[in-house]
Amino acid sequence: MPATGDGRAPDATDHAGSAERSQSRPGTPQRAAAIPHPRSTPAGGGEPARAAATDFRVLVIEGDGPEHRLFESLAEELGGHAELHRVDGIRAALALLPPTPGAGRRGARYPDFQCVLLDLGAPGELPPGSDGLDALRELLQRAPHTAVVVLTDTAGTGLGAAAVAAGAQDFLVRQDTDGPLLARALRYAVERKRADESQRRLVEAEIRGQENARLQRHLLPTPLLDGAGLSFTRRYRPGRRRALLGGDFYDAVRTKDGRVHVVIGDVCGHGPDEAALGVALRIAWRALVFAGLSGQHLLTTLQHVLEYERRSDEIFATLCMVVLDAPGEQGTPESAELFLAGHPAPLLLGPDAVPMLLPSEQAGPALGLLPCDAAQATWPALRLGLATGWRLLLYTDGLVEGKVGAGSPRLGQEGLIELIADHQAAGLTRGRLVDSAIAEVEELNGGALTDDVAVLLLERNPAPVIMG
Amino acid sequence: MDLSLSTRTVGDRTVVEVGGEIDVYTAPKLREQLVELVNDGNYHLVVDMEGVDFLDSTGLGVLVGGLKRVRAHEGSLRLVCNQERILKIFRITGLTKVFPIHNSVDDAVAATD
Repeated sequence: MPATGDGRAPDATDHAGSAERSQSRPGTPQRAAAIPHPRSTPAGGGEPARAAATDFRVLVIEGDGPEHRLFESLAEELGGHAELHRVDGIRAALALLPPTPGAGRRGARYPDFQCVLLDLGAPGELPPGSDGLDALRELLQRAPHTAVVVLTDTAGTGLGAAAVAAGAQDFLVRQDTDGPLLARALRYAVERKRADESQRRLVEAEIRGQENARLQRHLLPTPLLDGAGLSFTRRYRPGRRRALLGGDFYDAVRTKDGRVHVVIGDVCGHGPDEAALGVALRIAWRALVFAGLSGQHLLTTLQHVLEYERRSDEIFATLCMVVLDAPGEQGTPESAELFLAGHPAPLLLGPDAVPMLLPSEQAGPALGLLPCDAAQATWPALRLGLATGWRLLLYTDGLVEGKVGAGSPRLGQEGLIELIADHQAAGLTRGRLVDSAIAEVEELNGGALTDDVAVLLLERNPAPVIMG
Repeated sequence: MDLSLSTRTVGDRTVVEVGGEIDVYTAPKLREQLVELVNDGNYHLVVDMEGVDFLDSTGLGVLVGGLKRVRAHEGSLRLVCNQERILKIFRITGLTKVFPIHNSVDDAVAATD
């Protein structure tokens, strides 16, 4: 059970939302008096030290009938820092409520009522075709976050139970109710409503979080690298506005021929549409790799997918793809092909050497910028020779767009090279290298980065030592 | 930091002077300005980026969207930029092949190719 944090007494749940229990309560004032509630109800102007501000506003919607004495007694019971707004009928009440739920909290035009007390009148006076709850329904629609307690007469207990089922917090029978009991019922209804509201918000936030996590899981899959003998470190940091999903994605797949295909990409912009497009591109990329495509052919097809799937033609995606050839004999240099589509070039790190930014002169445009058919969009391969002990660092632009100090200067690729060199010199490798590098980028930025960041570090695992 | 925008007409060209940072937060303002200009019948735009301190991928998307809008009316969108770090972003993403980039507003206004 999540903490509601509203100070509700533990046993208050016994009564929550139970029409049957509520029904029995008004008739048994002794028991009702024992209902715990977190705030003491000051009797007639108690707690003078804190009585200055109004902390409890009640909207009383009166029906026909001489109930003035009950409401006067209620006002007396609630004390000096409560305010009773008494109106005749539902129309006058609705005029005091903001036209859209919650608007009253932002502007001072509408009083912020904690509770509404609705007198449902005598059931005999109902117009034909009405169940007597029309006013209540209208009220709940206009003030969905406000506690509502209804009053019925002795003949209307069935109506009271129906009112609770329709969304009221409680009902009381007029003849059995006095000021103190009514005051307690109102205070209690407010606390119960508050608990229900925080529960509802918690559930909503959980669902939203789960949806984001689900989307993110599809953006950031488990690589399929069985048997590749590679160490694949991957990190993802959401941007400063966590709720705002980014479109960074990555994937890695080993095909039957022993080659390993790695991709990292970034859909420009932020939001669920961009994140969903990132998922679409990643899965399309994986499918195309499985289907045996690579290089220009793969990227052209991927661009077509993007063109059909994007919601606006200003959306494009940058992408970096590395294809490692199957390794030869132990100790021989390895080779790979690099394809860049508008994406910052990876860093090649050696075990000793200073990190090197791979060339990007051969790079093609980001996907979705230029039409493929006019042969404007081409993505030539760059052949790479990888000496023993190679490491490749792939990243999205969020990493180099972090600020360094006040104003507009950014880390940039040159700054990243220095930073990585420092952390390597400190003896950090693999996950610790990536983590400490991201941590320093965030520190330089003065906090979490605006954009989301994905970082991959790829390297060959040392060969197992076979004991003769 | 915020984004500043001002527009002026030079001959048949509309010059949009942009200052500050174009990122995920400010890019919508630039988009709005470009859409409004095109809707008002200005199809030959020059975007002066000399005062831009930072440009991210959302901002690039807005410029690409602007280009596609003016092209639909057989118009043009030229950029003015001398800042190496901004030019680098255009180079990395391949946008130097998409936008004509000029050294000065005068050059951009005089260009006819």
